[in-house]
Amino acid sequence: MKSGDYLIVTLAAIMLIALYVNMWSAPQQAGDRVRIVAEGSEPIIAPLDRDHVYRIHGRLGDSVIEIHQGRIHFASSPCPGKQCIHAGWLERDGDFAACLPNGITVTVLGRNPRFDAINF
Amino acid sequence: MKTTRDDHRIAWLTGLAILIHMLESTLPSPLPGVKPGLANVITLIVLMMYGWSAACWVTLLRILVGSLLLGTFLSPTFLLSLSGALTMLAAAATTRLAPAAFGPIGLSVLMAIAHIAGQFAVAYTLFIPHQGLFSLLPLLMTAAVAFGLINGLISQAVLRRLGHPTTALDPARREHP
Repeated sequence: MKSGDYLIVTLAAIMLIALYVNMWSAPQQAGDRVRIVAEGSEPIIAPLDRDHVYRIHGRLGDSVIEIHQGRIHFASSPCPGKQCIHAGWLERDGDFAACLPNGITVTVLGRNPRFDAINF
Repeated sequence: MKTTRDDHRIAWLTGLAILIHMLESTLPSPLPGVKPGLANVITLIVLMMYGWSAACWVTLLRILVGSLLLGTFLSPTFLLSLSGALTMLAAAATTRLAPAAFGPIGLSVLMAIAHIAGQFAVAYTLFIPHQGLFSLLPLLMTAAVAFGLINGLISQAVLRRLGHPTTALDPARREHP
């Protein structure tokens, strides 16, 4: 191995450590808006920094979705499994919860919510 | 059209790289984007023996022909492959400032990191602009460094067998490898 090789391998090791520390311990970027989509009605886009309680009419009944201190969660829902409630509080860009029986989804949006993914 | 000895060499080596590329595409991958990139052993050997421009030819031809044969031409796979190759070759170009300082192992690690960095940038800006992608980056980079080391060791062994000094050639010596 040449001197440049040792330099590159050392720098690579430092970079890996820095990556793990930065990407896996620091919290992800906070979201700033949420999008609530219910079957058969217009999506609601709301800011995350304004506390509000939404009563969204779904297939089974009303789901209560609460925005509180920059976070959002399903407070109650008429579904049998309550998966949406167990999803807990959402606050980071890309966080997502859904109540499939009631046909409602909640997505936290960050700065560039152009699309989720592109497939060909 | 007249072909030179170098043209033939590049063609043969490209053929070999395409073969490795095709064989590797049949291997299952533990994580999307993680691949040993064994075809880059050829890239490295060409880089060391025949210089940077020959390495560009071999790499870009391999990606073009490989994608045509696999049916991924102009698909996201192809774009990711191409962007990785371009950043990788750009990184290799910077080492020409001090060719004597780098051997196959350092070059291989550097190029693997550049490859993943380029792919990741394109994947994030074009295909999946989601913050969650960054959680994958440490794993992808770990794989890049690991496979970079392995490919570098393979290249070094091959170059030694070919009786080639394991230092990047300066362009002046290129004519008499």
